Order: sequence, then structure tokens, then C-alpha cells
Amino acid sequence: MSEHILRSFDEDLGHLTAEVARMGGLAEAQIADALDCVLRRDVRLAEKVKAGDRTLDELDADIERKAIRVIALRQPMADDLRHAVAAMKISSNLERIGDLAKNIAKRSLVLAGSEAATPLSRSIDRLGRLVAARLKEVLDAYTASDVDRAVAVWTRDEEIDSHYDSLFRELLTYMMGDPKMITPGAHLLFIAKNLERIGDHATNIAEIIHYEMTGEPLGADRPKVDSVTP
Amino acid sequence: MPLTTPADPAILERLPDPVMVVSAGAREHPGERRIAFANAAARDTFRLKSEGQPLVSAIRHPKVLEAVEASLFDDAEHEVAYDAVGAQDRHWLVLSRPLGDGRAVVIFRDQTDARRSERLRADFLANASHELRTPLASLTGFIETLRGHAKDDPAARDHFLTIMHVQADRMARLIDDLLSLSRIELNEHIPPDGEVDLASATADVISSLAPQIEERQVTVDFVPPASGVTVDGDRDQIVQVIQNLVDNAVKYTPPGGTVRIELAADQTLDSVTAPRVEGAGRQSLLTPDHDGAARYVAIRVADEGPGVARQHLPRLSERFYRAPGQKSGERSGTGLGLAIVKHIMNRHRGGLAVESAEGQGAAFTAFFPALS
Repeated sequence: MSEHILRSFDEDLGHLTAEVARMGGLAEAQIADALDCVLRRDVRLAEKVKAGDRTLDELDADIERKAIRVIALRQPMADDLRHAVAAMKISSNLERIGDLAKNIAKRSLVLAGSEAATPLSRSIDRLGRLVAARLKEVLDAYTASDVDRAVAVWTRDEEIDSHYDSLFRELLTYMMGDPKMITPGAHLLFIAKNLERIGDHATNIAEIIHYEMTGEPLGADRPKVDSVTP
Repeated sequence: MPLTTPADPAILERLPDPVMVVSAGAREHPGERRIAFANAAARDTFRLKSEGQPLVSAIRHPKVLEAVEASLFDDAEHEVAYDAVGAQDRHWLVLSRPLGDGRAVVIFRDQTDARRSERLRADFLANASHELRTPLASLTGFIETLRGHAKDDPAARDHFLTIMHVQADRMARLIDDLLSLSRIELNEHIPPDGEVDLASATADVISSLAPQIEERQVTVDFVPPASGVTVDGDRDQIVQVIQNLVDNAVKYTPPGGTVRIELAADQTLDSVTAPRVEGAGRQSLLTPDHDGAARYVAIRVADEGPGVARQHLPRLSERFYRAPGQKSGERSGTGLGLAIVKHIMNRHRGGLAVESAEGQGAAFTAFFPALS
């Protein structure tokens, strides 16, 4: 292949990486805004998150199109092929993360009608920040092509599980103690579950990065510490 | 020399604020925005590796990217505030200005101090008023009783006055700990300078706790390693960490039991958080930002107390959190000890982990980055 075509091929792959990184940034901002919604019950912010989700959906479709185009036109091999496939898979995880963030924002509006206890909001916020940090770590690993960082995220997944566990119990305790807490408590349970799912998607992205860089899947069983569900 | 002579590039390099120059590329390809120049502060903050790397590989925040695009293509100046997530939160104000030749200059101003002070003040007031309410109510109750039917009963008077004294003491300690925590949090984003020998700090703590150790009739087992346990740090704060951990261990260990303290050097993140007790629950209470090459020095304090069930581990370092089932005698503590340890460890860019099973005591490991 002439140098001109080679350079353009590298550019295409580079553009894909950049698009995924940008989409990642948007997903991170959605999570931050959604958590803000839970703390502040801000209606306008919730609307902003809903609108942001449509952008995420468009980016996902765009990345898929570009990746398929690269594969069809360039017929890449090995690393390059894995890179294009990884971009699609990561973008699909980011799109799901966006949906979960949007659901959190929507639910926070329902909460706006009731008095949720401050300690509960703090615990949700803590879980949220843990999950946001996890996603940031994995996206940093992606842009730096750092497989060790990705593996570190994968290994620490249990930390999110145990915080989620702990939050679940806390919510149950509040709900059992005071019937007025049952409705807001149930909504907070869903919000907590959504956050835990976002954490799972971040871990999926770590696995994808590992596969892209090494051609090998990460180990079969991640340590699971969820004692709430059998 | 005229005042408008172009500046020596070395000046930009030495500025304390991160500064970048970004080149445009084609409008429809965001991937082509590249960092043409980044000063030392920017390279450090954003961990930049190579020349000309894409802007999006360093910064992903949509508002910042939009601001830079506006400067590159629409000749507009923009200002954006954003929060950077990480072990230490930072708040940035980003200024983006067009340079006119297909490039833009992006300046980052660290606003962490200002935002932090505000938030800490609000937190402190909320915590203080909430936690002081109970002992205050108790004091008021006893005062009422002393003025009422206990007025002429010297035995009751003595008894109540003793309790009131304990409550007042507790409130004083609570305020001290809250202020302590506030002060630590205020400077949490500023790394300490100074060097501390953990072995000597531990020995000092054990001496200072001698009265309690003797009163509780426990043994403290500590063999300092010969060398290699010096770390970057603030001595007073490190002593406070060791003191809080050892004091807790002594409090929870039954008479005749042993508190074991170990120091280990040259640990990786994996080795320092590896499980040691079969079947015990393990929880990281603080994890430092990832750095593959980092080595740590760890101190591990193990008690022989009742232990903590797995489901209560994640919240141990939460302010005022009490794991259900702990002996009520331990309520003399302020509930802030572990929160203080966590924030000090965070300032030192280290970590904190706990390993425990019900009936098997608890072991806390605090680890510091090894001397650079």
C-alpha cells in the first residue's frame, strides 16, 4: 500500500479512538450531572441529562458506522482489527451507561416530591463517586493504551459490589424503620442498582481493552462479593 | 526592550498553572486537535506522554472540548469550570483563548482551595450541630433533674454531675476531632513535604499509649525492621494515624490479648492489599490513584477484638458510623478516628484497608508511597 493510504488508515483508527474518548467524556459528564440531580433535585439539570443521552445514542451509531467502514474498506488484521471491534464494543457499553445515568436523573425528579434523609443521599453520592472514579480510570487506560491500568480496574470491581451491598442494607433499615421512607427508599434502591450496573459496564470496558491489547480474554471469574443476591 | 516583545518560551514552561497550546486540524475531525505545546505543570497534571498527542487523550470533559473548539474555529474566548475526579478531587477553571493562527492557548486555574473551604465550612457546621445535639440534650436533661427532684439528694447529685462531666468532655473531644478533620481536609490536595521514619514514629506512639496499654492489660507486639521504612510525609499526621489505629486496637482487645504491629517495605499495591486471613472479609477503605511502578511502605495493626462482619466493612471509615454489635463501652470514642486516618492517608497519596471476620479481630493496613 502506498504511504498515503497507510497514513490515512492510521488516521481512521486514530479518529475512532478519539471518538470513543469523546463519547467517554460525555458519559462521565452525564453521571456527574445525574448524581447532582439526586443531591439537588434540579429539574433543569435532569432535562439536560435526558438531552445529553440522545447525543450519546448518536455517537454510538456514528462510531459503529465508522468502525464497520474501516473494517470493510481496509480489511485490517490482528491489532488493528481488534482495535476497530473494541471501539464498537466500548461505545455500546458507554451508550448503556448513558441510559443508566438518564434513568438516575429521571428518578431523582420523582424523589423531588419527598424528604429523603441526608445520610442516604451521602451514601448514594459515595457509591456514585466510586463508580465515576472507576469509569475515569478505565477510560484513561483506554486513551493511554495501558493494559495494566485496565486490569487494575477489573480486579477492584468487588469494591463497588461491597459498597452497593452496604447501601442496600442501609436503605432497607431506613425503610423498615419508617413507612414514610418506603417510597423514596424504593427509588433510591433503583438508583443504587443503576450505579452498580454502571460499575459493571466500566469493568466490561476493562475486559475489552485487555482483549484489544493482548488478544487474550481476562480470567473467567471475577471475584464477586454480592451477598445480597444468591 | 519593548514591553510587547514575544516571551521566552522558558517562561511559559515555568508557569505554575498548567498551560497548553492546541492545534486545530480539520473541523470535522475532533481527533485532530493536538497538544502542540504543554508546560511542565500541564504535563504533570494530565500525565502527558508524547509530543503532539490528541487533546482528547488528555481531557475528555465535553464543556472544555467545546470551549477549545470555539476558540480554534470561531475565534471566541471561553471560560469553563469543571471537577476532576480522582483520589483527590480538584476543581479547575479553564480559560481558552484563540491565538489566531489555527491554534488556541488553554490555561487551567486550580480553584480547589476556594471551593474546598466553602464545602468544608458547610460540612463542619452540619456535622457539629448534628452530633452535639445529643450530648447537649442529655446535659439539659440532667440540669433539669438537678434543679427538680434531685435538688436535695447529694448521692444523686454526685452521680448526675459525673455523667454530665463525661458528656461535656465528650463534646469537647468531638469539637477537637471535627476541627482536626476540617484542617486535614483543607490541605488534603497539597502533598506533604518532610520525611518520616515509620519505625521511630510507631515506637513513639507505643510509649505514649503505655498507660492505656497497661490499664487494659494487653501486650503490644512490635519488632521494627532494620531500615527501609522511611516515607515522604508530615510527622504529626503520621503519628496521629498510628495512634488512632493502635489506640483502637488496644481498646478492642480483651485483657491478656496481644496487639500485633508490623511494618513492611517495598510492597506493590497488590501485595499490600493481599488477603492474609483465611475466610476473613477484606475491604479497601481508600485506594490511591493507579501507578504501576509505585512501591509502598505499610503498617499493619491487628487486634484480637470481636471483629467486624463483612457487610459492615465498607462504612468503617465513615464519619460517626458505628458497626452494630460493638460493645457499648466503646461509645466513648468520637466516631471520627478512622475518618481522620483516611483523610491523612489520602493527603499522603497512600491507602487504607481492613481485614476482619466476626470473632477473629480486625487488622488495619495503612500504606504510604515509598520515599521517592
